[in-house]
Amino acid sequence: MARSLWSGSVSFGLVNVPVQLYSAVRDRGVHFKQLHEPDGSPIETRRVCAHDEKEVPWDEIAKGYELDDGRWVLLSDADLDAAAPRKSHTIDIESFVEEREIDPIFLERPYLLVPANESAARAYALLGEAMRSSEKVALGRFVMRAKEHLVSIRPRGDLLTLTTMRFHDEVRASAEIAESIDAAAEPTREQIENAVAIIEELEVPFDPTLYRDEHRAHLQRVIKRKQKGQKIAAPPPRSRPTPTAPDLMGALQESLARIRGEAAGKQAEGATAKKQSKKARSAPPASRPSGSRAKH
Amino acid sequence: MPRSLWNGTIAFGLVRVPVKLHSATESKTISFRERHVTDGAAIEHRRVCVKEDREVPFSEVVKGFEVSSDSYVVLSKEEIAVADGAEAHIIDVEHFVLGEEIDPAYYERAYYLSPGRLGDEAYRMLHAALKRSGRVGIGRFVFHNKAHLVAVRALEDVIALHTMRFVDEFVSERELEVVAPDKEPTKLEVDTAQLLVDQLAASFEPDTYENTYRDAVLNVIERKARGEAIDAPQSEQSSKEGELLSALRASLEEHGRGHRRAGSGAPHSSGTAPRKRSRTRGGA
Repeated sequence: MARSLWSGSVSFGLVNVPVQLYSAVRDRGVHFKQLHEPDGSPIETRRVCAHDEKEVPWDEIAKGYELDDGRWVLLSDADLDAAAPRKSHTIDIESFVEEREIDPIFLERPYLLVPANESAARAYALLGEAMRSSEKVALGRFVMRAKEHLVSIRPRGDLLTLTTMRFHDEVRASAEIAESIDAAAEPTREQIENAVAIIEELEVPFDPTLYRDEHRAHLQRVIKRKQKGQKIAAPPPRSRPTPTAPDLMGALQESLARIRGEAAGKQAEGATAKKQSKKARSAPPASRPSGSRAKH
Repeated sequence: MPRSLWNGTIAFGLVRVPVKLHSATESKTISFRERHVTDGAAIEHRRVCVKEDREVPFSEVVKGFEVSSDSYVVLSKEEIAVADGAEAHIIDVEHFVLGEEIDPAYYERAYYLSPGRLGDEAYRMLHAALKRSGRVGIGRFVFHNKAHLVAVRALEDVIALHTMRFVDEFVSERELEVVAPDKEPTKLEVDTAQLLVDQLAASFEPDTYENTYRDAVLNVIERKARGEAIDAPQSEQSSKEGELLSALRASLEEHGRGHRRAGSGAPHSSGTAPRKRSRTRGGA
């Protein structure tokens, strides 16, 4: 079983729910180690004291903060705990909001909350049930690993999930980027309508299983080939983008013609398949839109 | 304008939109440096060859993938880049979805897009079309030798891009041991808890949630700089055993008193100011 990253309680009014926090995601990336080229030996990173050139064990390392006058203040984990004793052990629920009000720009990392014991499990279930029936998510703050997090808590299946969020001053304003866009380069109404038509043609219910990380598999294949002693050919040089403005209208119309052509081809196979079927949001999420319904 | 991290092209259908990627977020966490407790000296990270037990220069370091214990396959930067493929500079938008169908757990990092060279018209067209359709583009792209699932959506004035997690990155609930409650909550408990949820209902106003820990840490740093001792925190009273319903009722009463001035106890409606604010502003 995975290791818990934090334990404490979720506090909801005067109700305390002791919980343990686990990561809801794991890193599936392909990782490389640093090696010393001449002898192929692994490289180790050692922490060395700049003063006496000796290796320093973990328990002799403090968190240093440089003051304006150049002096350093050294803090221990206990000092940091003392900065916010309650927040380091309690997630205080401050309010309940509608999920759709939270812009995804605030979201950071998902975790799973698990009740710490049997009696906590009842209060835990109660909190989940109350949020489910009121269709709201909880907002609170807590400190984990010397960092305060704004968090949202929502029920998912049998568990409560916690998502760390960014504080408002950690989200940059978009105004500078908006101002950099050329106001004179205005698209025509026809272009926009065609783009909307393409969006509608390519619309599906969100189904995350449709998207696999193929890059990971490619990289593993490259490693295998190299292991067998095969030569890895350099990728073809990147084709430079055309230095002229692209023909937007041409690309839009050609895209629509192709997408609609494909859809029509599929529809011809399924006698009763209707194009509108993709608009039916109640359709099972895993099914591909249009044409996948075979004739009976 | 924040500098761009990546230049490339959004592709949907045969339409190409040249874009630049900028981070939409920045960390405001106080950062510390490692120092040696005994003499306060800086800690340096040294790259040491395990076999020779000596420091090695960066120019002699290569990347190896461990295929079995202590057996590595060395890959050059160029060989690693082969996996990126020819489409490495393209954000290939495959589908469009309703944003609310995406579980928030998928979102990873947020970026703003700005138009790339000669791309202003195409950018504004995509922005207008996303906005009008109310849909979010879903695609994939390779960034820093890693593929990302992405959502492309229109904000009020710019296009945002979110990297998202792939479905196989999620930990299954079954991997965790979850204790079942000794007793299911009663209907009365659920109803009372729901009243409390309603009492604490607000609209999401990000600036009502300040990071106060930053200031608390700076305060500890100041005190420590003056030579004050930092007291160990008192251990908190842990959970209230049993008595769930009475705790809920007491909470309702406590919050009810605090909220009376903020208006009725009705669930929040979009027009009203969030309670949290009216409460902190007192009777103003």
